[in-house]
Amino acid sequence: MITPEQRAEFRKHFRYNVGRRIVLDKIVKVIVFSCVIIAIVPLVAILINTISNGAAALSWQFLTEIPGAVGSDEPGGIGPAIQGTIALIGVSSLIGVPIGVMGGIFLSEYGNNRYGRTVRFFNDVLAEFPTIVIGVFAFVLIVLTVGNFSLWAGSFALSIVMLPIIMRTTEESLKLVPVTYREAGYALGIRRYRVVFTIVLSSAKNGLITGILLAVARIAGETAPLVFTILGSSQFISGLDGPVDALPLRIWRLSSLPYDSAVTQGWGAAFILILMVLTINIGVRYIFLRSKEKRIIKLRKLGAAS
Amino acid sequence: METVTKTPTKENSTEDIKYKLIAENVSASYDGIVAVKNVSLKFRDRAVTALIGPSGCGKTTFLRCLNRMHELAKNATLTGKVLLDGEDLYSNKVDPIVNRRKIGMVFQKPNPFPTMSIYDNVACGLKLNGVKDKKILDEVVEGCLKMAGLWTEVKDDLKKPGMGLSGGQQQRLCIARALAIQPEVLLMDEPTSALDPITSQKIEEMIRELKKEYTIIIVTHNMQQATRVSDYTGFMYLGDLVEFGETKQIFENPRNETTAKYVQGQFG
Amino acid sequence: MTRIIDPHLENLSQMMKQMCDLSIMSTNLAIDSYLGKQNARKEVHELSSKMMDLYDKVGELTFEMILRYSPVASDFRLIRSSLEISYGFTRLGRYAYDITLVRDTFGDLSECKNEVIYTLSGEIKQMVQLAVECFATLDLDKARELRTDEDLVDKYYNKHLPMLITLSSTKCALADALVLRYMERMADHAAFVGDSVNYIVTGARAYR
Repeated sequence: MITPEQRAEFRKHFRYNVGRRIVLDKIVKVIVFSCVIIAIVPLVAILINTISNGAAALSWQFLTEIPGAVGSDEPGGIGPAIQGTIALIGVSSLIGVPIGVMGGIFLSEYGNNRYGRTVRFFNDVLAEFPTIVIGVFAFVLIVLTVGNFSLWAGSFALSIVMLPIIMRTTEESLKLVPVTYREAGYALGIRRYRVVFTIVLSSAKNGLITGILLAVARIAGETAPLVFTILGSSQFISGLDGPVDALPLRIWRLSSLPYDSAVTQGWGAAFILILMVLTINIGVRYIFLRSKEKRIIKLRKLGAAS
Repeated sequence: METVTKTPTKENSTEDIKYKLIAENVSASYDGIVAVKNVSLKFRDRAVTALIGPSGCGKTTFLRCLNRMHELAKNATLTGKVLLDGEDLYSNKVDPIVNRRKIGMVFQKPNPFPTMSIYDNVACGLKLNGVKDKKILDEVVEGCLKMAGLWTEVKDDLKKPGMGLSGGQQQRLCIARALAIQPEVLLMDEPTSALDPITSQKIEEMIRELKKEYTIIIVTHNMQQATRVSDYTGFMYLGDLVEFGETKQIFENPRNETTAKYVQGQFG
Repeated sequence: MTRIIDPHLENLSQMMKQMCDLSIMSTNLAIDSYLGKQNARKEVHELSSKMMDLYDKVGELTFEMILRYSPVASDFRLIRSSLEISYGFTRLGRYAYDITLVRDTFGDLSECKNEVIYTLSGEIKQMVQLAVECFATLDLDKARELRTDEDLVDKYYNKHLPMLITLSSTKCALADALVLRYMERMADHAAFVGDSVNYIVTGARAYR
């Protein structure tokens, strides 16, 4: 037992220079805030830069027309590039998302053994791979074999880039779902695959969507794999088989031209790209993650009316 | 270890006593730790049997052996037989999933599925086992919520998310969910340990009602709860079944010295 | 390891010990004073009141323990039996007082020989002593002895009560009859103590 006298004795050893600690607290707060601001400054600077420089090039023509002759009076637009990027993202997601999610499910639910560890290791390695190497790989595998640059070669390369990201984030999100929900499912006599797909997956929805959106944003801006696989073009898409244009590629080409108008168009294209990624992000979140509450509210109103 | 001390049953053993669930020489371990050592128990139909014992004595592991949930643990091993209505649950011919539908389980911490509404939570077991008829689902949901004593509180809000209820309501929801798959036996692992006294009381009343139709096995830390709710009590210690008998006898006149020490709080 | 209930059990044990001593004292005093033709009414009354007080305290303590600590197993049997036994002791005190009252009721009993009472008195005193020891040591043999003793007292009572009619003095006959009756009841209660001790040790209830 510690007696009151002992307590008084022990208390004497505490440091009581509260004043110093308050000052220290404030200093640390200031440092932390300034770090945050330093981190945000580049983002804000880029946004402002892009908008101010690219706003001049924005117009309906810019968004929908094909690029005109280089250096001419009619610079045209980046229509094909926008269409190309959307198509590329779409097709890559079609390939990459299902495989990535399934892979993540495997790693999280069935992967607690040596086989799973190996897969995880290779996944992590693939995530760190230089994307230009992936582009070259797609070039050799598809472009050389088939004989021409194509949309699906580009999508293939991009899906390889997005696969490890989705796998990793899916696995992490699924692991966050507490074991008790799975146990409750098993105790009801529900088969394992149904427990995973119906109960666990829907609980991990948020994390999954975030992971997918991260991957999509990443590949929307990847230029290196595209260089070797889609070639770029000045025409709208004619089919999966032919070359196609993409925004990152177009930005790169436009900004390396010596003409001012081209550079401005480059800025405009960059602005469009940023806008596209933001819209995907916010839009998908709105659809997938808010919808349930809105649907419930709608139903209640209907119920009250009837 | 000490020998099992059992009260001789009052009835003549040649009579046909209705034992719903019989565990014979069940031993179980997980992750290298032997949790249950050669436990044999018989559970009467339409009665509540309580399992008491200090932490880590193997009662939860033993409970999980009864509905084949134990095999989901890491490096789980199990020997012995568990007979439900005379059929061996662990024989190779029987699908574990089918047995888990006959033996429902309620866990310590209420765990309603977070993304589902109250209705969906209760109907989940049925829906995911192929029942599609809405009329049947409605009937079962209403019946189970009534049995769990939750119907009057939620009947107007069945589409609200299950996580929006209070702790006690969530636990009753989990009980309704377990009842929905029409089990014959209900296993409860410390169902009220995370709840306040009044909710616990409601759940105990509910158990007394359910006893009329189901066989209930409840693991509890709370000895007063065991005395209030159960007809038979088994005391487990360090993986062994030390004593088993009618609740009145165990708590008024335990035959085994370890049991007497435990129920009187003389364990160190 | 001392449990929360242990100091209260100790307290109960002290009170029961006091009641034990008081019952032996009051029994001996009452019987000796009757046989020695002395008046011990006041002293025995005091002892009996003390016992009633203690009985009230024991009652409060046991119910408080049951309410607060929900005792089980041997704790519970001990507490339940303590209540029954302390009631038994108050009856012993009451009957002892009643015995001393006989002299007041009937006046001068100096010519009575009290043979019947004299023969039984040793047995009764011994039974009360035995009951106290039985409770103190929780000895089942003593409990069995108490039962056999009580049988003997019953037989003696049934044999000698009718025979009192033959006494020459009505006064003596009635006085002796009353005292004999009281002593038989004391023997009963002593035997009940033995039954309660049997319940504490084995958990078996004796249904009378």
